[in-house]
Amino acid sequence: MLPALAALSACSGVQSALDPAGEEATQVATLFWVMTVGGGVIWAGTVALALYASRWKRHAATEQGAGRLIFWGGVVFPVVVLTALLSYALWLMPSLRPFGGEATQGLRIEIVGNQFWWHVVYRRDGAEVVSANEVRLPVGQRVEFALESADMIHSFWIPALGGKMDLIPGRTNRLSLLATKAGVYRGQCAEFCGISHALMAFPVVVSEPAEFDAWLEARTRPAIGLDGSPAAARLFVDRGCGDCHRVDGTEARGTAGPDLSHVGSRLTIGAGLLPNDDETLARFIAHPASLKAGSRMPAYLDLPAAELAEIAAWLKGLQ
Amino acid sequence: MSDHARPGAGAVNEDKAAEEAQLRAVWANPTGWRYWTSVNNYQIGLWYGSAAFAFMLFAGLLALLVRAQLAVPENDLISPELYNQAFTLHGTVMMFLFAVPIFEAVAIFLLPPMLGAREMPFPRLGAFGFWSFFIGGVFVCGSIFFGAAPNSGWFMYPPLATSEQAGIGADIWLLGLSFIEVASIAAAVELIVGIMKCRAPGMRVNLMPLFAWYLLIVAGMILFAFPPLIAGDLLFEMQRMFDWPFFDPERGGDPLLWQHLFWIFGHPEVYIIFLPAIALLAMIIPTFSGRPIVGYSWIVLAAVGTGFLSFGLWVHHMFATGLPQISLAFFSAASEAVAIPTAVQIFVFIATMLAGRVIFSTPMLFAMGGIAIFIMGGLTGVMVALAPFDWQAHDTYFIVAHLHYVLIGGMLFPVFAGLYYYYPLIDGQRMSDRVGRLAFWLMFTGFNITFFPMHIAGLRGMPRRVYTYPADIGWDWLNLISTMGAVVLGIGMFAVVMDVTLHRRRQPRGEQNPWNAGTLEWLNEPEENWGVRSIPKVASRYPLWDQPTLAEDVRAGRGYLADAKEGRRETLVTSVLDAEPEQVLRVGGTSYVTIFCAATLGTVFVALTFKWWLVSLAAGIAFVGGVLYWLWTGTGEIPDRDEKDIGHGISLPLYASGVKSTGWWAMFITMTGDGTAFASLVFGYFFFWTIHTDFTGGQAGPGAFWPMAALALFALAWSVTLGAREINRQGSVLATRLLLVLGAVLAACGCAAALAGPWTSAMDPTAHVYPAIVWILVIWAAIHGAVGVLMQLYCLARSLAGRLTPRHDMELHNVALYWHFMLVTALVTFAVVGLFPEVL
Amino acid sequence: MWHLLPKEVESLWTLFTAPVVWAAHFLFCYLAAAVYCEKGFFGAGFDTLRLTIGLVTMAALAMIVLAAFLAWRQWGFGTGDPPHDDPSRRDRLLFQGYATLLLSGLSFVAVIFTALPALFLTGCLR
Repeated sequence: MLPALAALSACSGVQSALDPAGEEATQVATLFWVMTVGGGVIWAGTVALALYASRWKRHAATEQGAGRLIFWGGVVFPVVVLTALLSYALWLMPSLRPFGGEATQGLRIEIVGNQFWWHVVYRRDGAEVVSANEVRLPVGQRVEFALESADMIHSFWIPALGGKMDLIPGRTNRLSLLATKAGVYRGQCAEFCGISHALMAFPVVVSEPAEFDAWLEARTRPAIGLDGSPAAARLFVDRGCGDCHRVDGTEARGTAGPDLSHVGSRLTIGAGLLPNDDETLARFIAHPASLKAGSRMPAYLDLPAAELAEIAAWLKGLQ
Repeated sequence: MSDHARPGAGAVNEDKAAEEAQLRAVWANPTGWRYWTSVNNYQIGLWYGSAAFAFMLFAGLLALLVRAQLAVPENDLISPELYNQAFTLHGTVMMFLFAVPIFEAVAIFLLPPMLGAREMPFPRLGAFGFWSFFIGGVFVCGSIFFGAAPNSGWFMYPPLATSEQAGIGADIWLLGLSFIEVASIAAAVELIVGIMKCRAPGMRVNLMPLFAWYLLIVAGMILFAFPPLIAGDLLFEMQRMFDWPFFDPERGGDPLLWQHLFWIFGHPEVYIIFLPAIALLAMIIPTFSGRPIVGYSWIVLAAVGTGFLSFGLWVHHMFATGLPQISLAFFSAASEAVAIPTAVQIFVFIATMLAGRVIFSTPMLFAMGGIAIFIMGGLTGVMVALAPFDWQAHDTYFIVAHLHYVLIGGMLFPVFAGLYYYYPLIDGQRMSDRVGRLAFWLMFTGFNITFFPMHIAGLRGMPRRVYTYPADIGWDWLNLISTMGAVVLGIGMFAVVMDVTLHRRRQPRGEQNPWNAGTLEWLNEPEENWGVRSIPKVASRYPLWDQPTLAEDVRAGRGYLADAKEGRRETLVTSVLDAEPEQVLRVGGTSYVTIFCAATLGTVFVALTFKWWLVSLAAGIAFVGGVLYWLWTGTGEIPDRDEKDIGHGISLPLYASGVKSTGWWAMFITMTGDGTAFASLVFGYFFFWTIHTDFTGGQAGPGAFWPMAALALFALAWSVTLGAREINRQGSVLATRLLLVLGAVLAACGCAAALAGPWTSAMDPTAHVYPAIVWILVIWAAIHGAVGVLMQLYCLARSLAGRLTPRHDMELHNVALYWHFMLVTALVTFAVVGLFPEVL
Repeated sequence: MWHLLPKEVESLWTLFTAPVVWAAHFLFCYLAAAVYCEKGFFGAGFDTLRLTIGLVTMAALAMIVLAAFLAWRQWGFGTGDPPHDDPSRRDRLLFQGYATLLLSGLSFVAVIFTALPALFLTGCLR
């Protein structure tokens, strides 16, 4: 069983806790392997003993001997093992998520959970960058998250980087993560939050600090493609898109839906649901609920195909 | 019978035959459709068990539906809405309609013969519990056929479950299950009194079958675990129906309070499920090891220890909610500690097998398979109990795997072992060994194929409760394998169902004790309803092994209480520790009143779901009327004479009041559970106080005057009630009646004063959580006061009708006991709502 | 109110002494930490909480040791071996003593487990 587990974990994907790319995830993966190997040995030993005991043709133990087995096997051994294990985990706890201190000096990301998407705000040195449904992090720098919810309880989880933390209405929870390996990972909502809970994911891009800084700096300004099609930008506002979505540098200032300021540069649309291209953007705009049940965005089935394509192309251009 | 008169042998045989015929007639089931009014523990146990099994199969089908949907990525076999209803109902039904009720069923069926009693002490309460469970269960399960099943997960977290999106399903869950929880608490009362007070003479606590020890602990746990959920349900339903903001952060509430209350119930619940199943193993393993259990005291340690520790684990379901890590760590520690008594239990079984010679029968196969699976679930439990690991594993398929290893290994396999083991007690024949072994291997392999890959899927990031998942992120094959395993597991279960329904054609009528077991239940004759022909004197943990003449003496009617001359159903009451005979208890027989009460109470809950207020009110009045009729005609009867000869020169009283009466115990136990629910509400009050800087939210409080007035009035009513009991004992009937009237007036004024506090301050319970929690506490106290009034008036009526006399005064004792609890409730309520805000 | 605690029950309840001490200790640790982390305690530092938990732990352990001693005495200071299954009052008492002693042992370990977090954690950490 154990070799099977080990073999399977070797080819883990982008959302695997066994393929850690963050400090907490690494520590916890180590803890996991220690426990798994130990647990496997204990399981095999106990079951072997039980199988031996259930053989008919063997010398029956005395009552005293059997009683001693209860004491050593059922009491002393577990107490020793559990004390060690508990101490290990308790020793781990304070160092895994160090809040305050230098952590607060660096990057701070606010996440607000919504049915079924993520509002993301980056804050550093007084600068504020609003985004949605994607998280970008620098390698080797501890990042503090502030987690809130606008409706239901959600849970923010990037398995490759660390454990999860709930987003609870009326509370602000904190999480602190330190990515150690650049790459693209996947996070997902882990607390059942309604009909499309399964479709509430997000890509996580971990890049070198310089690359990250450049990315963040670019996000403080309106998108490059904003003026690509003034007609489309006009349409976006006229058709009511701007009532719910914000696009930096335009009259679109809505806050009910995800911020679309640089939507063209995101890896996915619909919170990790679909690849980001003109075609999927148009599909999503035309009928969101058919792709994501319970989406609060109204359908735009009446929108002429040409207008739809124009808006989609413009959005894709917001880099 | 009389040992002293010794006529001719023939005459003795004739006497015995007549005695037996009469006993049989007294305990006989009604025939025709009136069969369903039976209250006998065998019938109730069988119905209970069959219904629970049927619910389990239904929930199993839902699980197969879930697995079918997840077989391949991006599947669209069923809609997300149906998927969410299916998994919610799967969990809900398995937990509330199978896992807990099946043990109540087994206990009601097995305990009387195992303890050498004729019946449980309150057969009608057992029947009432069954019918409540059945009605509530059908209501909850039926909802999915109308697309109205609960869809927010079996844990029903607000705000999702308080929102519009939850629909009527949330009300069905809350009200349907509250109704079923009532049945569980009824069962707990019945089991505790049965085990403590209805054992055969000589069965001291150190000779009690281990099954009884486990069940005693479990019943006690129910009293402390279920009431917090009932309190939570109350707050929840107040928010859903009347917009009282207990879980709404906008108005001072907090969704986390529900999580606390739910898991204070939810984690002990796991052990409430697990311990009775282990109790079955503790009966099966000695039998097939051919020797008494090694480490009897260790089992008692394990059962009691687990029972206690299980109440210190609840926050490990909330490790990711952002509570301070220091708090999480306490619960991590307790969750690790609970592994110790669990390990002790496993090693007791291994030690017993080592010290004996094991016959590897079908029940043993299921037992061993269950243990192997359970140990693995236990080990992953030790892992997820550590907060850092749980931050990764929480709400993933790793947890799904863990909990199924625990529950299927620790509960389902032992229950199947119990089914194969105890089947001969149901109709005198064994189930098929061949089918049993085939079913075992199908279930065992199917189970592991289904659930082992889920560990890996979870660690690879697959969250729970997703109706679909993308391809190519490492979950595809694992899910397909799981689904195939589920089919194999399903086929295995189906084989057992076939065996149960078709076995009669294959198996010959077997012997009475086919496994050569040592405990009393194997004296039971499936075609007889009387429990035991006569009640034995027990002198061993395994009487059938150590007391060679016992079986024959019992069957020949040479034990205690061999007759039923007065045509009444009777059983013995004995002392708690040493089981010395104390009283002959006349228990209730066949009756419609149990079904009537269950049906009316069920109507109350169903009508509330649909907000049919008047129907609900009418049904509520009918229910109270039914209960009063039940009590009036079925309890506290003054016997035709004081004592009855139970044989062997012992005469016992037929009437007892106070501590000696089973009714007093029932009241004590019920009120303990009631007190726990009340404590949960008080916890809510202080919970809101901790999370806010100003927990009143600027709202006016009830002031100190009215709460203190209410407290004073209730205290007076309490002392007057106690006075009535004493005066009555001294023989002043008129003074007793006057005091009872005075007590009722005082208590009624107390209720009014209680409500006057928040009323005169115009506290609006929808404005903020502070007025809402104050109102709830005050209403709780006032309703209890009103019930107290009802009880005082009931005693008055009994006295006027000549059914309560200075010598026969059990009602007054029980009502006085109620008022002790009422006094504590009043003291805490009014000190908290009246004084706490003042001293702050 | 003697009848509220009938002697019989009282003597069965001795079995639960040590676990009740564990429960009280656990509840104290949990509530103290919860209230401290939410509302503070008159400006006291976290070490005050740790120290308090330490002291309460000592008291709880002392009570459990006392219960264990009483149980040991009832068990005849270990002179009789289990299984204590004679149908006599004496064996019933021995059984009770032995089971109570075992439960005291478990509760002792559980109290120490519960106190360990105060040893390792240096703040509320949230």
